[in-house]
Amino acid sequence: MFSSIAELVGMAQDRGLSISDIAIDEEMRRYHETREEVWAKMSKNLQTMKSAVDRGSQGKGVFSKTGLTGGEAALLEHYRKTRTSLSGDAMLEAVVAAMATNEVNAAMGIICATPTAGSSGTLPGVITVLKNRLGLDDDKLIRCLFTAGAFGLVTANQAMIAGATGGCQAEVGSASGMAAAAAVEGAGGDSSTCAQAFAIALSNLLGLVCDPVAGLVEIPCVKRNAIGTANALVAADIALSGGVSRIPADEVIGAMKSIGESMPSSLRETGIGGLAGTPTGKRFRRTVFDK
Amino acid sequence: MGKYKSVFDIIGPIMIGPSSSHTAGAVAIGRVGHILIGGAPRRADIHYYDSFAQTHKGHGTDYAIVGGLLGFAPDDTRVPEAVEIAQKQGMTLAFHEEEGPSPIGHPNTAVVDLLGDGGRVTYAACSIGGGTIEVRRIRLDGCAITPSGLLPILLVERDQSENDGGGWLEQMQDRLQEAGVTKQTRYESGDRPGMTLYDFDLDNPLSAQMQQEIAGHSSRMIYID
Repeated sequence: MFSSIAELVGMAQDRGLSISDIAIDEEMRRYHETREEVWAKMSKNLQTMKSAVDRGSQGKGVFSKTGLTGGEAALLEHYRKTRTSLSGDAMLEAVVAAMATNEVNAAMGIICATPTAGSSGTLPGVITVLKNRLGLDDDKLIRCLFTAGAFGLVTANQAMIAGATGGCQAEVGSASGMAAAAAVEGAGGDSSTCAQAFAIALSNLLGLVCDPVAGLVEIPCVKRNAIGTANALVAADIALSGGVSRIPADEVIGAMKSIGESMPSSLRETGIGGLAGTPTGKRFRRTVFDK
Repeated sequence: MGKYKSVFDIIGPIMIGPSSSHTAGAVAIGRVGHILIGGAPRRADIHYYDSFAQTHKGHGTDYAIVGGLLGFAPDDTRVPEAVEIAQKQGMTLAFHEEEGPSPIGHPNTAVVDLLGDGGRVTYAACSIGGGTIEVRRIRLDGCAITPSGLLPILLVERDQSENDGGGWLEQMQDRLQEAGVTKQTRYESGDRPGMTLYDFDLDNPLSAQMQQEIAGHSSRMIYID
């Protein structure tokens, strides 16, 4: 089992394989499963992601019980199709998919956690672009999910992936790094370029706090995933163009860990500080819980 | 070895929203109780600490833990109605927001106290992120068990008066070799004299066949995966 990004990339290079191959082999070895069994599980995850994207972006979209979030992925999709957007089609397709997924999550619908439910939209956003813009088929997309998973495993084991222990950087930040690495493999980049994209994406979201209004996975989570997926695409493009992270990926993970550990509890998923602690945030808390 | 072992701990689980640590992880915490007590309990007292105490209402942690106590999976669409389902079945439920620090040192902590037909079980578990959990304390049959946390955890009870020619423990260790025992602790039962309980913390899951074999060679086996 790889315990660092350097080791993961080294394994891929030594064996002339991609990161996804390493992740698949490791899973088969540890759980005594066939390639087909492991593949089928990831395929089910991909289908779950696609269903959530469809559900949240079609028609008027979905709305949470509290009424705090919902319908904005569908609004953005309509805007994308009928207006000349500023960010461009590919970027907005990703953002629509990311927000759709997190709106479904907030509405207690079925999603695939990647690595968490709060950050479940970031990777599907990138997957949507790989499918629509690069024309990748399901088999290639499933590979990208394994790549994302391998980078996420190292992050989870070396640092943390829970907002309660490391803030939003540990959730959307990790998801964005994972998605950037997945995008690079999907676009044909090699394993070390995957690591560059991961490091750039995670670096950009270091310090992000977890401050859910009323303690709910709604505000700001839905739109944080919009930024997570957009940041992943930008980081992947930078890496694919030859741009590098001067701080190695493993050290970026280390920085995230130390920042997470020094974050006050009020900014780690307690629904007390940050946006949750604003006058409007507190008012929402009262209206949601003191009906 | 890190805490997360499978790529599906990261990409997954497939679950009902909204939170992997407070909802999917909470289902997993409840499921531990279902396994420990051998079914749905008659009464459950759930004590929340820190982030769990602050946000359990918004994240659906209550119904998630109860869904787990009923034996539901994280993607079971009945999870949001679990509290009503449990109450209809006659389960008594009480939720407590504790103000002090977590007794096991993690912000997402629940201490679950269960009463069932087989007696009383108490355990302390925490949700460490992405739906993965740790069980750090279990009180069962008068034993205060302190597993290292990560699943799978295998609890095996053996009646000391049973004579099989010796070597029981060695045989058990042989069987568990492939699963990789990371910690092994022996406890003498306070409630059941003559009964010894072993806690084996495992690195890898046990096959169904191996579970059967171990159950056949012990007075009682509890496998939490």
